[in-house]
Amino acid sequence: MTQPAFGRRQAMTLAAGAGLAAVARDAQAQAVTLSAWTGYPELVPFYNAAGEAYAKLNPGFKLTVFSTSLREHEQKLAAAMPTGTGPDLFDVGQILSINLIEAGLIPANPPAVDAQLKASYRPASVDQFSISGKSYGLPMLFSTPVLFWNRAMFKEAGLPGAPETFGEMMDYAKKLVRFDSTGKMTRSGMSLRLSGQGSGITEKWRFVLEPAGGSVIKRHPSGKYSQNYDNAAGRAALQYYIDAVQVHKVDDPRVQRDAAAFVAGNTGMLFREAWVIGEIQKQNPSLDFDVAQIPAWTAGQPKKTLLQHNGLYVSGKSRNQAAAFAFMQFLTNPENSAMLTQTSGWVAARKDVDWTGLVSRIPQYKGFVAPPADMQYYLEPVLGPWNEIQTRIADQLPAAFVDPTLNGNPTKVGETIKRWAAQTDALLKEAGLFGTA
Amino acid sequence: MKRRNKLLGRIGVLAVHCVLMAGALVMVMPMLWMLATAFKPAPEIALWPPVFLPQAPTFDNFTGAFETAPFGRFFLNSLFIAGVGTLSVIVTSLVAGTVFAKYRFPGRGLLFGMVIATAIVPFEAYMIPLYLQLVQIEWINTYQGIILPYLFMAFGIFLMRQHVGSAIPGELMEAARVDGAGEWWIMARVIAPLSGNALAAVGIFSFIQGWGIFIWPLLIANDQMLFNMELGLTAFQFRFSADTGKLMAGSVVSTAPMLVVFLLLRRRIIENMALTGIK
Amino acid sequence: MTAARRFLTKRRVLLFCYIALAPVLALFLYVRVIPIGFGVWLSFHKWNLLSPAKPFVGLLNYQLLMEDENFHLALWNTTLYSFSTVILSTAIALPLAVFLARRSRLSAFYQTIYFLPVITPMVPVSIAWKWIYDYNYGILNYGLGLLGIKSVAWLSDPDTALWALVIMGVWKVLGYNMVLFLVGIRNIPAMYLEAASLDGANAWQRFWRVTFPLLRPILLYVLVTSTINAYNVFTQVYVMTLGSQAAPGQAVRMLVFDIYTNGFQFFRFGYAAAEAVTLTLIVLGLTVIQFSLARNDPTREK
Repeated sequence: MTQPAFGRRQAMTLAAGAGLAAVARDAQAQAVTLSAWTGYPELVPFYNAAGEAYAKLNPGFKLTVFSTSLREHEQKLAAAMPTGTGPDLFDVGQILSINLIEAGLIPANPPAVDAQLKASYRPASVDQFSISGKSYGLPMLFSTPVLFWNRAMFKEAGLPGAPETFGEMMDYAKKLVRFDSTGKMTRSGMSLRLSGQGSGITEKWRFVLEPAGGSVIKRHPSGKYSQNYDNAAGRAALQYYIDAVQVHKVDDPRVQRDAAAFVAGNTGMLFREAWVIGEIQKQNPSLDFDVAQIPAWTAGQPKKTLLQHNGLYVSGKSRNQAAAFAFMQFLTNPENSAMLTQTSGWVAARKDVDWTGLVSRIPQYKGFVAPPADMQYYLEPVLGPWNEIQTRIADQLPAAFVDPTLNGNPTKVGETIKRWAAQTDALLKEAGLFGTA
Repeated sequence: MKRRNKLLGRIGVLAVHCVLMAGALVMVMPMLWMLATAFKPAPEIALWPPVFLPQAPTFDNFTGAFETAPFGRFFLNSLFIAGVGTLSVIVTSLVAGTVFAKYRFPGRGLLFGMVIATAIVPFEAYMIPLYLQLVQIEWINTYQGIILPYLFMAFGIFLMRQHVGSAIPGELMEAARVDGAGEWWIMARVIAPLSGNALAAVGIFSFIQGWGIFIWPLLIANDQMLFNMELGLTAFQFRFSADTGKLMAGSVVSTAPMLVVFLLLRRRIIENMALTGIK
Repeated sequence: MTAARRFLTKRRVLLFCYIALAPVLALFLYVRVIPIGFGVWLSFHKWNLLSPAKPFVGLLNYQLLMEDENFHLALWNTTLYSFSTVILSTAIALPLAVFLARRSRLSAFYQTIYFLPVITPMVPVSIAWKWIYDYNYGILNYGLGLLGIKSVAWLSDPDTALWALVIMGVWKVLGYNMVLFLVGIRNIPAMYLEAASLDGANAWQRFWRVTFPLLRPILLYVLVTSTINAYNVFTQVYVMTLGSQAAPGQAVRMLVFDIYTNGFQFFRFGYAAAEAVTLTLIVLGLTVIQFSLARNDPTREK
C-alpha cells in the first residue's frame, strides 16, 4: 500500500500541469458561470472564497453556490439531474453518487482528473472513486467519526483519559451522567443517536456494530452481498444501546443530544466527525475537550472507524463540462484543501496537504489528519439500495432502544435482529445483489 | 323560585365564561409563547422555570435570522406565489363558475361533474405523477412549476357557480345582451361587480392556502432562492435546530402576515370560511 | 329577431362557452385529471426516477404494500390520528358553538380567538409546538409541573409522540369546526326552539331534541371533511421528526410521509404511486360512507 518515493512529487507535477492546462484553456474561453450545489451549508464560504480566487485567474468566471440540508440535497439532486435542471458541479456522498453514475448522469473523469485522483489520494479513496476501471469525481472531504470527550468532566469524575474499550466507555459514562433531585437526567454520560428518523441512526449504530465484529452487509468473493448483523456482533451492538438507555441509564432519548449537547457541555462523550471542532470554536471556544479513537470492543481487538468520502462531481448534463472539471481541480488543489478545513472544520481528502499549521493551532485535529497507525477503516458499500437498507433499519432502531421487553431478554433481541436482517437481504435480492458465497 | 333559577343561570353563564376564557388562553398561548421567545436573548430562553415575558427584550433574533438565511427573499416568494395563485383562482372561478351557472351547452353536466368529482382526491395522492409531468416539461425548480397546481380551485368554481346561479338574475344579463353587450363584457361588468363578496371569499381562501403550501415546494423547489417562507423556515430549522430564538423569530415573520390579514378581516374571514365550508 | 339571427347568437354564445372554459379545463386536465390517471398507471409499474428500465409489474406494488410493515404502521397511525383528532375537535367544537350561538360582544371575541389557529401556517405553528413540547424547557411541562405532574418527553417518547400531534391537530382545526356548527345552529329557525320551549323542554332537552337532529347533516359533513384532511397529515410530522432532537420517526409515521419517503428518498415512484392510490381509495371510501349516512338521515334538508 505504500507509494513509491517518487510518487508524490510526480503527482504534484502532474496535477499542477493538469490544473495549469485547464486554466489556460479556460482563460481563452468566453465568460463562464458555473453553479455548484452542496449538502453542507458550512462549505458555502469555502466555495465562495475559491470561486473568487478562481475568478481572479479567469476573468469572467462566476460561481453561484446553493446549499440545502443534506437530506433535501440528495433528493433534489436525484430529481434535478435527469432533467438537466441540476448544477454544473456538486458534492455528494457516495450513497447517491453511485445511483447517479449507474444512471449515466455523471461522466467518467477526463485523463487530467483521473491522473490527479490516482496521484494525490490514498489508495482507499482511489478505490472508492473507481468503478470497473473508470474513475468518477474527486474525493473532496473525509469524514471519520472519533470519540469526543469532555476533559473537564473526566477530571471531575476522576477518570484518567479516553476509554480504550466499549466496556470501559460504559463504566465511564456511569460516572459522568448526572441527575437532578427529581431523577431527571441533566447530563448524559454518552450521547448516542436514539431518536429522530433517517439513515443517520443506523450509521451511528454501526460505530458500535463494526468494532463488535459485524457489519450491516458483507461482500462475498462472488461480488454479491448479504446481511452481516444477525450474529453475535449484531446482538451485542443492539444490547449495548439497550444497556446504555435501560440498564445503566447513561443516556436518555429525552435529553439534549448530539453535537449540540456536546458543545453545550451537556454530555460527556460523543461519536462525531471533525466538523464538531469547528462548531465548538464558533459557539463555545472555552470547552475543555479532546478527541480519541473510537474504542475497541474488548482489549486487544482492533479499533475501527467509518471512512466516508464526500465527492465532487461534474454533471453529465452540464453545458460547461470542461470548465467544471477544471474548476473542480482548482477546488481540490492543496492550497484550497487546507482552506476547506480551515473554513468548515471538515478534513480535506487529499493526502499531500500540509497540516502543521492547523494542528499547532487546534491540536484536536491531530486525530483526524494524522490518524494513529493501528486505526482500521471500514467503508460505505457502494451500492444502489444502500440508503434504503440503512433507512429501513433506522426505522426500527429507536423503538428497540427503549423497548422494555428487550431488556434482559436476549432471545427477543435475537428475534428482533433476525427480522431486520431478513428485510436487508430482501432489499439486496430485489436489487439482484444478494448472494452468500 | 324564579329568582333562584335566574341566579343559578347567572352563575352558570359565569362558569361557562371561565371555561371559555381558559380555552381562549390555551388557543393563543402557542402564538404568544412564540412571540415572547422571539424577543428573548439566549440565556433567557434556556431558563427553568421559564419566564413568560422577555426580561431584556431584544431584536437580535430577528436580525440574526435575516443574516443567516434570506428570509426577505422567502417572504417575497411566499407573497408572489400566494398572490399569483389568488389572482388566477379569482379569475378562473369567476369565468368557469359563471359559464357553468348561466349557460346551456352540450357537455356541461359532464364537465362540471368531473370538476367536482375529482375535487375530493387529495393533492398528496397525485403529486408524484404531477411531479413526473413537470420533470418532462422541465418545470422543476421554477416559479411556474410551484404555482401551477394552485392556479385554479375546484371549490372556487363550485362556489361561484352557486353564487352566480342564485344571486344574479338572468334578466339582467338578457337586458345587457339586448343592449348589444358581448358575453365577456357581461361577465366583467355585470356579474363581477355583483359578486364581490363571493369573489373575496374565494380569494381569501386561496391566499391563506397559497401562503401555507409546503409539500409541493418541498418537492419541486431546488434552489433556496425559490423557497417560500414555509420551506425556508424548515431548512433553517434543520440547520440551526439549537438556535430557538432565531427559529421563533423566523416563525413570527412567517405567521405575522396571516395574523394581520385575519385581524383586519376577521369577521369576513370567519363568515367566508363558513360559506366555503358548507356546500 | 329573425330565426337566422337567433341561430347566430346561439352559435356565438356556444362558442363563448367553450372558449371561456378552455383554459380552465386545460389546466384542470393537466394538473388533476391526467396526474390521477397517470398515477394509477404508474402504480402498475416499477418506476425508478434514475433507472431507465420501467417495467410493467401488474399488481406487484400493491401486493408488496400489503406486506410492508411501514405501510401498516403508517395506516394505523394515520387512522388513529385522524379519528382522535376529529372526534376530540368535534366534541369540543359542538358545545362551544352552542354557547357562542347567542350573539354578544364576547361571542365575537371568542370566535376570533378560537379561529386564530385555523389561519396560521403549519410550519411556524409546528415549530412553536415543538418548543412547547420540549422536555427540558417546554412550557407545557412547566404547566404540568405546577399541577404536580412529572415532566413528559412529549415528542421523544414513542408512547406520547402521536398524542402530541393529536393535541396540536385539535388545536388547529377546532375553530373551523366551531364556525361550521355556529352557522348550522343559527340557521335553525327560532320557532322550532320556541315551540319546544312552550312544550316545556329545558335547554338540555331542546339541544338533543331540536338542535342536534337538525345539525346532523353539518355534523356529518364536519366529520368526513376533517377526517379526509386529517388523513393527509404531513407538514407537522415532517417538521417534528427533523434533526436529532426530534420525535422517533416510526412513532409518528403517517401515510403521506411514507409516500414521500418511498418516492423521494428511495425513488420508488411506482410503489409510492400505489400507496397514493390506496390513500385515495380510503378517502373515497370515507366519502361514500358520508353520502350513505346522509341519505339514510330522515332530517336531511334540501
